[in-house]
This record gives sequence, C-alpha cells and structure tokens, in this order.
Amino acid sequence: MTELTHIRNFCIIAHIDHGKSTLADRLLELTHTVADRDMREQYLDKMDLERERGITIKAQAVRLAYRSQGVDHELNLIDTPGHVDFTYEVSRSLAACEGAVLLVDAAQGIEAQTLANFHLARDAGLVIVPVLNKIDLPQADVDETRRELAEVAGCRPEDVLAVSAKTGEGVTELIEEVVRRVPPPAGERELPLRALIFDSSFDPYRGVIAYLRVKEGLLPSRSKVRFMASAIDSEAEEAGVFAPEATPVPRLEAGEVGYLVTGLKDVHQVKVGDTVTLTGKQGAHEPLPGYREPRPMVWSGLFPAEGGDYSELREALDRLKLNDAALVYEPETSRALGFGFRCGFLGLLHMDIVKERLEREFGLELIATAPNVEFHVIRGAETIVVHNPSEMPQPGTYDHVEEPVVRATIITPAEYLGPVLELCQARRGELLDLQYLSPERAEVHYKLPLAEIIFDFFDQLKSKTRGYASLDYEPTGYEHADLVRVDVLLHGEPVDAFSSVVHREKAAQYGRQMVERLRELIPRQLFDVAIQASIGSRIVARETVKAKRKDVLAKCYGGDITRKRKLLEQQKKGKDRMRRVGRVDVPQEAFIAALRVDQKAEARK
Amino acid sequence: MSTGMYVHVPFCLTRCGYCDFNAYAGLDHLASRYVSALLREAGLAAPGWSSDQIASVFLGGGTPTTLEVAELKALLVRLRHDYAFAPDAEVTIEANPDTVDLLKLEGLLEGGFARLSMGAQSFDPLVLASLERLHDPASVRRAMREARAAGYANVNLDLIYGADGERIESWERTLRETVDLAPEHVSAYALTIEPSTPLGRKVQHGAVPPPDPDLQADMFELACELLGDAGYQHYEVSNWAKPGFACVHNLGYWERRPYLGLGAGAHSYRDDRRWWNVRPPEDYLSLVEAGTLPVGGEERLEPSDAYLEEVFLRLRILEGVPTSWVEPEKAAPFVESGLLLDHDGSLIPTERGMLVLNELVLALTA
Repeated sequence: MTELTHIRNFCIIAHIDHGKSTLADRLLELTHTVADRDMREQYLDKMDLERERGITIKAQAVRLAYRSQGVDHELNLIDTPGHVDFTYEVSRSLAACEGAVLLVDAAQGIEAQTLANFHLARDAGLVIVPVLNKIDLPQADVDETRRELAEVAGCRPEDVLAVSAKTGEGVTELIEEVVRRVPPPAGERELPLRALIFDSSFDPYRGVIAYLRVKEGLLPSRSKVRFMASAIDSEAEEAGVFAPEATPVPRLEAGEVGYLVTGLKDVHQVKVGDTVTLTGKQGAHEPLPGYREPRPMVWSGLFPAEGGDYSELREALDRLKLNDAALVYEPETSRALGFGFRCGFLGLLHMDIVKERLEREFGLELIATAPNVEFHVIRGAETIVVHNPSEMPQPGTYDHVEEPVVRATIITPAEYLGPVLELCQARRGELLDLQYLSPERAEVHYKLPLAEIIFDFFDQLKSKTRGYASLDYEPTGYEHADLVRVDVLLHGEPVDAFSSVVHREKAAQYGRQMVERLRELIPRQLFDVAIQASIGSRIVARETVKAKRKDVLAKCYGGDITRKRKLLEQQKKGKDRMRRVGRVDVPQEAFIAALRVDQKAEARK
Repeated sequence: MSTGMYVHVPFCLTRCGYCDFNAYAGLDHLASRYVSALLREAGLAAPGWSSDQIASVFLGGGTPTTLEVAELKALLVRLRHDYAFAPDAEVTIEANPDTVDLLKLEGLLEGGFARLSMGAQSFDPLVLASLERLHDPASVRRAMREARAAGYANVNLDLIYGADGERIESWERTLRETVDLAPEHVSAYALTIEPSTPLGRKVQHGAVPPPDPDLQADMFELACELLGDAGYQHYEVSNWAKPGFACVHNLGYWERRPYLGLGAGAHSYRDDRRWWNVRPPEDYLSLVEAGTLPVGGEERLEPSDAYLEEVFLRLRILEGVPTSWVEPEKAAPFVESGLLLDHDGSLIPTERGMLVLNELVLALTA
C-alpha cells in the first residue's frame, strides 16, 4: 500500500489531435510502466476503431510507478473521452482526479472542447497544470499560445510548461510538476467504503469490470458490494490496478484508482457515476454526489438493408449494449423500411460509432433514418415524449411543442467571427455573450436548439472558418418551439422514414429540397410518380418522376439471346432488392442517399 | 424441323464506334482461308443436322459483301449440297452500300441470295458521321436503285436512331426517305451503347452524352406512325415489313426454332442447348483447319431459363405469349393500362408496351 501523500490522480484534458495519446505513450515509457519491447503507439486506446479515429472512447486508468526525489510515487493517469457527446462521462472521470494536465497544441491554440472540459475540471476543484505540446513543430507559436493559455488558466505564463510528446522533450519535467503541483488525494480509510465508478466495460470471460476511484474506506479484493444507484448487491471477484495490464491487488484503499471484477453480467447494472459500497452494516448510507442516469440526446431508426437481417440486427445491438451502457433501443416498424430499431445515442459521434461497429463487427448493411432530437409535445397537463418524427401528432391536436436547447461555446479566429455569427443566427441561435481571448481569438456563447446542430453544424462551422473554429455544448433544458412535422409522400403514400420535424419557417424549404432530392433518386416507373411534401394536409412541394417510356433491348438475334437473358436476370435482381412503397419501387440506395446526414445537410443550406 | 442457318463473315472495311459485333478491319488477307474454313465447318457440322430442313440462310457480319461474289456463290452451293434446304428457303445477305454495285448485285441474286439487307442507318450525313459510317446518303439511294435494277424484289434497310446530335426532325427525314425508296422491309434500331465499344467508353468518360430515352421513345413512336401509314406491319420491336415480307430467318430466333451458326463466334441452338464458336477469326481458322468443330462454349437452359427466354422472345413479336402462361393478376394491370392486349388467348404487347418490354417481362415472370 502506498502512503496517500505519495499518490497523484490526474487526467489529461486535450482536444482531438493535440497529442494526448502520444503524451500518454511517453508517460508509460519514461516511468518504465511498459517495457520498451511491448511499447506500441496509442497504447491505451485498445479498440481498433479508436485507433483509426484517433480518439478515445472508453476511459481507462493506468498506474505509473515513478520515483521522484528518492521517493516512490503512484501516479494514476485517468484517460478521459474528449468529445462533447460524453460530457457526463468526462465529469465522472474528473471527479476521480485531483489534478488535470491541460494540454494544448502550440500551433493550434486552445479549442472549445478543451476549454469546456477545463471549466468542468476547475469547477470540480482540480488543480490545473497547463502544458503546451508540439513545441518541436516549426509552425508552433509558443509565446503566443503560452500567453493565451496562461490567461485562460488564470496563471502566469512562466507556469505554463512546454513539451514535445513526440520527441519526449520536457516530459520528465512535466511528471515532476504533476507530483509537485497536484495535491495527494484526501480520503479517510476508516470510513465506510464509497468508491466512484467512472467507467465500466464488459469482458466475455469475467463479466462487467468497473473502473473506480476509492473515495473513502477500503475495498477488499473479494467482498460483498452494493451498487447504490442500481440497488444491486454482488460478490466482487477481484480488485486490481492497470499497470498497464490488469494486475490483482489484495485491496484498493481510499485515494486509489483501480478496477473491480464485479461478478455482474449486465453492464447496465454498473452505471457510470454510481457509488460502490459494502453490503450490510459496513456499508455507507449516502452515495457520492453527482450521479445521473445516462440520457440519449439523438435518435435514429436503424433498419437492416436486407429485410431478413432483423434478428441479426437485434442480436448485434444486444451484444453492443453489453459494452455500451448509453445505448438504448426499442423495436420500430416502418412501413417503408420494415422491422428495425429506434435507437437513442448520446450524440452524433456516438451514433456514428455504433453504426460503424454494427456494420464492421457484425457485417450488417444498415439504413439509418436522419437523426432527430427528443421532442416534448404538450397537450394540457400531459407531456408526450416523441423519439420518432413519424409519431409526432398532427397539428391542431396539441397545445405546443418543446425541443431541447443547448448552450454552445464556439472559439474562432476573430477574422471568421462574422460568418460564425451568421451561421448561428441562421440556426435559430440566440447570442448570449462574446469575448476575446486575445486580439486574434474570440469566444462566443450561443443558445441553440439541439436539433439545429446535430446535422452538419460542426461541418459548416469548420468550413466557414477554414477548420479553425471549435465547438462545445451542454444541454440546458427544453423550450417552446414552433415546430411542425413535414411528411414526404410517394404516389400519395406517406413514407414514414422520410418524415421530419422542423421549424415552421424552414418547413416548406425543407420539404422542397427533400422532394427535389428524391426526384433524382427514385427511378422512373411505368407510371408518373408524384413526390410530395406535406405539412398536415397541406402540400408544400411537389415533383414528378415521369413515367419510364423506353426500356427494351433494341436488338435480339441468335447471338444475343444468352447475353440478353442474363441482362434481364440482372435487372430482375436489382428489382428484387428494391423496397415497395405502395406501388412505387424504391432502391435501397435511394433511402441511404436521401437519409444521409450530409445530403440532408445539403438540403438545409 | 424447320431450322435457320447463320453464316458469320467477320470482315469490315472499318470498325464503327458503336458496333460490338465480332467484326474486324484489316483482316482481309484471311478472307480466302476463311471461306475455305466455312466450307469445311459446314461439312463437319452437317451430320448433326441431317434431319433438319433449312428454312433460311442469313449471311451476316461484319460485311459479307467484302467477299468475292464467286466465293459467296461457292459457299451457298456447298451449303445446299451438305444440308436439306426447303424449296422456298429464304436466303439473305447483308451489304453495305459502298461494297456493292450493279454487277455484284446481279451476281448475288443470280447466285441465290434473293434477299438483300442493306445497312443504310440514316439519311442524315451528320448522323452518319456521328456513327462513323463511311457512306453518304446518296450511295444508299444509288445502291437501292441498282438493287432494283438487278432484279431484287426483297430488300431490307437497316436504320439507327438516337445517335448523338440527331433530332426528331432529322429522324423524320430519314424515315420519309426510307418510305420513298420503298424497301419491302425496314429494321429501325434505337442506338444502344455497348460498354465494350469505343463509343461506350466515350459515353462512360462523358465525352459523348448517352442517348436520351425519351427522345428515342418519340423516335420509336414516329417510326410506328410513318411506317404504319406507308403500309408496313410492325411485327417485332425493331422490325417492319410489307405484308408477306417478314424475315423468316429472324422470326426463327423469336419463335425459338433451332438454328445453326457457322463462322467465328456464331451461336447455335437446339433442344435447350446453346453453344457458340470461338470468336477470334485466327482461333476459328486453326481449329477448323485441324478438322475440329470450333466450339468455344455452351450452356444448357434450365426450365426457368427456357421460360424466361420464351416469354421475352415471344413478346417481341405479334404472336405474344399464351394468356394461360401468365398468372391473370400479373397481366391484368398491363392490359388495363394499354401495354398488353389480351387477344384470342394470347398476350400481345401494344406499341407502347413494346417500348417497355423489359419491365413487362420482369413483371409477368416475377
């Protein structure tokens, strides 16, 4: 057991690509936590998907053994997700730390997500160690970024460290400063056990593993534990630490970070933010503060491209859910797309990750409907929760609709401020405040409807600022909004998969663009196909796919027959793969293309 | 058994950009060897067809008239010797206007090639240029005059519509000129882009726009109207004839009668088996000269293949398919919308129906 005074629990707050994983690699090397021969890049990001996207999805905690000034220290590096979808998870990771390294690319400057997480960390009472990274890059502006970072962190420029995670320059000094500046954990080992779960994962052989920080008391390796929010008791099988591979220990003590093999099989019983205590009289009465149920922000229908794959999709979702407590889904039946699932995600990134894993790991081909937020339809004293635009009641049958709004933080080079403000205004934004971090960089806060930023807002922001602006947002509740449901009809039949809930002022335009897009995507049939957009019973847009007039093989003589029969068979196969909406054959590709987020975004410009 | 015989001549003066037939320019030096090989192949194949009566012979290509009249005559004599011809067998030879003159035409007619099929394609010089055809409209008129002078009483003109730049007015002029020349038979084909041709590649690269299907549909309808008014019967998707002049040979393909193909790449069919000769003329020559049948591949038709062929071939012609072959609820919507006629126990496509025949076939056989 390590003296509390020799323990440091810290995390790294950084923007994507600002070098967090590389710095973690150097820390593992310089502390000899990983032998040189076992070292590989982005060591802590274990999943393939994470490695490719260069981001970290699952938080991890790794113990570094470090001798500072002749004394052995235990440094626990808690890796946090960096994306806005995972703000709550970040806050729980932060609650497991006493300090945070605020890592900023010296060539890029601070970004909005970093700033938001920095605020989270500071509000949680963490000691901040500001660090400039990539000082080896020729385009690094060390002095300017140092000044900016000092101002943001509220420290003197001399207190900002400068490192190159790539070359290792300055990293040893950084470790020393972490030891010097970050306070050791407080924690009464005599109090009843209270341990904070900041992440969990599912191991097919060992069940659910909880990653936790012991706040008070002792957690013996084999003990009867209680998950307080879930109100579930279990026989824990093993406690341990990551060094960096899982290593069992006899017990975890207040101040320490490690893992617990919970003895449970369902990841949903082991919730991020929950408190672990011992069962019975030894147990604590009050859980640690700050627990929140995971709440999906973005919804989308997932349907197998081939109708028969429904049960495979169900199985795949069930398996993914074992490892992803934030994923929720319920069966959905679409007249156009058949059987599928309406799924709730923490955000767009989470949605992309789930969809990609379903396709990649389970070999499924999916059609995803356009993402939407959760709407609240108010009818008298009743609130109807709507996750699916096609379930939105018809106008006139309710009092009003509420939609989720967020407080968005945007940091942009001052020269692009105009276009950024324009974009936010166009997305029904309300300016909250605007300040300059430096003469060159501005920080803007906007109130925005979540629905307006889940499509392409970030892409638009990037393109209007040549990639320099950054975005973060936090949900701030529901507000009254003038929203209407726009339906798309093919040959008079509404296609539920294309229904969307949009602001009234944009509804007609949205309908027109959807209809125009579909006109390009729906092949000609033997009859004229009307494509209409409607709001209630009012048609707001109409296009026609003219009847196909010619589809015949001009020549068919002795030498052609075999080849032409095969052409017909191919055409037949293509037809068999189409979905039938009323009398209209719609190819899969039309659904996929019409529902693609970027295409949809195209329609919103 | 009433059987057709196809003889393939793979030589051309030049290759046209749209054509994907098994035809070659610059192989003329092989011509006399090729004729010998045809004679030999006819002999080799004959035992397999001894109980067949040959109802028609069709010399196609390529450009058969690149061969000498004497060679062509010798070929026909040999075929008549090796096979049992029907007394009224139809014998057709394809010709390009530029490869025939009065003398040659007289020779061909005298040699027994009583039906002449001429590749006119268009009477618009711009369209001919777009198709990379060498002749000009005047030579079609000349060749037609000479054919009549030689005594030809059964002539077909081949037309192509929908080439890049062709407008409906130009097509109308072509049709009117055709009617004025009064051939007994007219084949009018919508230009089809074959991916493996130079034109196909140009379309793929965007250098040439693909034909506009609606314009081609208008052109088809115009052909139906003008040729119909001039007394031609529209007896197959792309074929019109004066009464009594429908092409016996081609009807054989659509009625699924057996056929024997001689020459490089030629296909043969009988009893739900189809096979084909090797395509490259050199390979064909070496196999035949070694005394073997130059078969390059074959397929056996499963009952489902045969059914699909039966439907899609028979629907091309006025005969149609027996109503009893198709589930009534599958045919009904098309009868109702005027794409099919339910006439005397047969489902027959209307002219509108012919234009969307693929869709009809797929729906009826689904």
